Amino acid sequence: MIDINTVITGLGIAGNQVSIPIIQQMLDLLPEIPMIKLIISFILWKPFFAALICPGFTTLGILLLFFPWIERKLCGRIQWRVGPHEIVWWLGGIIQLLADSLRFLFQEVIVHKDAHRPYFLQFPFLTFIPALLPLMFIPAGNIVAIETPYAIQIILAVVCLFPLFILGLGWASNSRFAFIGTVREAFMYFAYEVPFIIAVLAMIVLYGTSDPVGIATKQTIWGIILNPIAALTFFIAAAMATSRMPFEIPEAEQELAAGPHVEYSGIAFGLIYVLCYEKAYVLAGLMTMLFLGGGSGPAIAGLGDLSGVIWFLLKVVIVLTTLFVLRAIYPRYRLDQGLSIGWSAMLSLSLIALALSIVLVLGGVI
Amino acid sequence: MKKVTVPEQGLGEKVIRHATAIGVAMKESVYPLTATVFYPRERKKMPDNFRGYLMFDPDKCISCWECAFVCPANAIQMKVAPNKRYYPTVDYGKCIFCHFCVDSCSGGALKTTKIHDVAYKDMDEMLTLTEEMLEEPEIIREDKKSVEYVIDEHDLHLKRVREVDTLFVAVTPPVEIPMVSQCIDRASCIGCRVCEEVCESGAISSSTEQRGILRMKIDTDKCTGCGLCVKECSMRILRLVKK
Repeated sequence: MIDINTVITGLGIAGNQVSIPIIQQMLDLLPEIPMIKLIISFILWKPFFAALICPGFTTLGILLLFFPWIERKLCGRIQWRVGPHEIVWWLGGIIQLLADSLRFLFQEVIVHKDAHRPYFLQFPFLTFIPALLPLMFIPAGNIVAIETPYAIQIILAVVCLFPLFILGLGWASNSRFAFIGTVREAFMYFAYEVPFIIAVLAMIVLYGTSDPVGIATKQTIWGIILNPIAALTFFIAAAMATSRMPFEIPEAEQELAAGPHVEYSGIAFGLIYVLCYEKAYVLAGLMTMLFLGGGSGPAIAGLGDLSGVIWFLLKVVIVLTTLFVLRAIYPRYRLDQGLSIGWSAMLSLSLIALALSIVLVLGGVI
Repeated sequence: MKKVTVPEQGLGEKVIRHATAIGVAMKESVYPLTATVFYPRERKKMPDNFRGYLMFDPDKCISCWECAFVCPANAIQMKVAPNKRYYPTVDYGKCIFCHFCVDSCSGGALKTTKIHDVAYKDMDEMLTLTEEMLEEPEIIREDKKSVEYVIDEHDLHLKRVREVDTLFVAVTPPVEIPMVSQCIDRASCIGCRVCEEVCESGAISSSTEQRGILRMKIDTDKCTGCGLCVKECSMRILRLVKK
C-alpha cells in the first residue's frame, strides 16, 4: 500500500499549495477517501491551479462565454439599442454565445475550392498557441504557472507572434477580402508593435525587473499613476492589437465582410471569433500586471490566496470592459490614419513614457 | 477648386472631445435612453383615435358608398348582403390605414380599433368580408405591460405600466345631420330612372302620367340621405338638403 502523503511529497507538490482557509477544514476531512487527496492536492498545486483554473482555462472559458454578450449588450445600451435579447429574454439574452456556439458546432465547415486546404483547416487551431501560451506566465495574485524572471519578455514575444497566424489564416483563405484584410493586419501590426514594446519596456525599466510576482510586489503605487503615458500607449496598442473599434481596420465589416476570416464557417469560424477575445484577455492580464498592481488589493478574509485571484479578475474585467466600450463610441480610422497614429503619436508617447520611467528611476521614486 | 479639409483642432480640444465621448458612453451604459418596446410582451399604448384595424356596424350603415368612393388605395369594395343592401369589405392587402373611410362615414358605421398587428397567412385571407368585421377579431395577447412615451423637457422616456391596454375603443358616433334628397329642377328631369334603380332604401318611385311622361317621387320618410341618387343623376338636378 502506497502512502498518499509520500506520493504527494515525492511529486514535490506538497509545499506549493493554494491555501484557502475557508475550505481547509473540508480538505482535512478528505484523506479518508483514497485518491481524493492526491487529486485535490494536484489541483491545488499552484502551477496546475494557474493553468487549469485561474488565469487558465476555466476562467478563460467562462469569460469567453460571457464577454461577447457583455460587449454586445454594453454597446447596445450606449447606442440606444437593446443588444442580444430574445434568447432567455428574462435574463437579457445572457446565453447568447452558448446558442451561437451550438450553431457554429452544427454548421458545415465549408472549404472552398481555391483555399489551401491543410493550412486553411490547421490555422484556426494553431492560432490558439500564441493565444493560450501567455496565460502560463500571467500571475493571478501569487499564483502563476511558470515562474521565470523573463515572463514579460516571453509574453511579449508570443503576443507579437499572433499576427503571423492571422496572416496565415488570410493567406490560406485565398480570397480577395481575406487578402486585403491580411495586408491591413500586417500594416496595423507594424503600426502598434514598436510603441507597444517600448511602453512595456518603460515599465520594465521603472520596476527594474520583469518577474511578474516581483512587479506586483513593487507596485505600492500603481504603475498607471507612476507612468500614465505608458499606460495610455499600452491601452491604445492593445485596442489596435485586438482590432477594437477605432482601429478595426483589418476586419472592417462594411468593407471587407470580416477581413482575414471571411471564408470561414462553422466551428472554424467559432474558434476565430473567440480568438480576438482571448487576445484581449491576455493583453488585459498584462495590463493588470504592469499598471494595476496585479492581484494586489485588500485581503478578503477566509479566502487566502484566492483573494489575489479575485482582485486580479476584477481588474481584468474592468480593463476588458473599457476596451469594449471603445467599440460603441468611436468610428473607424482609415488605414493610413491608423499607421500615422502608430508611427507618430504613439511612438512619441511611448518614447516620452520611457524617458519618464528613466527620470523616475534616477529620481529614486521607486 | 474648393478643397474640403479636416477642421483644425488643438490638442486640448481633442482631449476634451475624447473625454466627452467616454463620459457619454459611461452615462448611457448606466442609464440608457433606449426607446425600444419589447413588442409581443408589452405594447405601446395607442391613442383612442389610432388608425388600426376596421370594425363595422351594419345598423348604422346607410349604404352611401362614401367609404368606397373615398378610399385612395381602392381597398374597399361594396358587396351585396342578403338583405339587398350594399356593405363594405376591406382588402388589407391594399389598405394603407389612412382611415378616410372612417372620417367620411356619415352614420359612424365604420369604427377604428387599436389593433395594428394585422397578419394573414395568404393573399386571399386579406380580403376581409363584412361578416368578419362585425365581431371583434381573435387576438393572441402576450403582453403584460403597456408602454407610454412621455416627453419631458429634456428627452423622450418610456413609462411602463403593468396593465393590459384594451384594443377596442368606444368611439362617440358623429352628430347625425339628417339629410334628404330633393329635386331642384323638376322640368329638366329626363326620366331615366337611374335614381330609382340606385336607391337602396326604395325611397324613389316613378309613376307614369298621361302622355307617357314619367314623374319621379321622393319619399322623405324612407330617404336615408345617402346621396347615391345625387351622384348618379345624369342631369345633376338632385341635391341633398337638410331635413
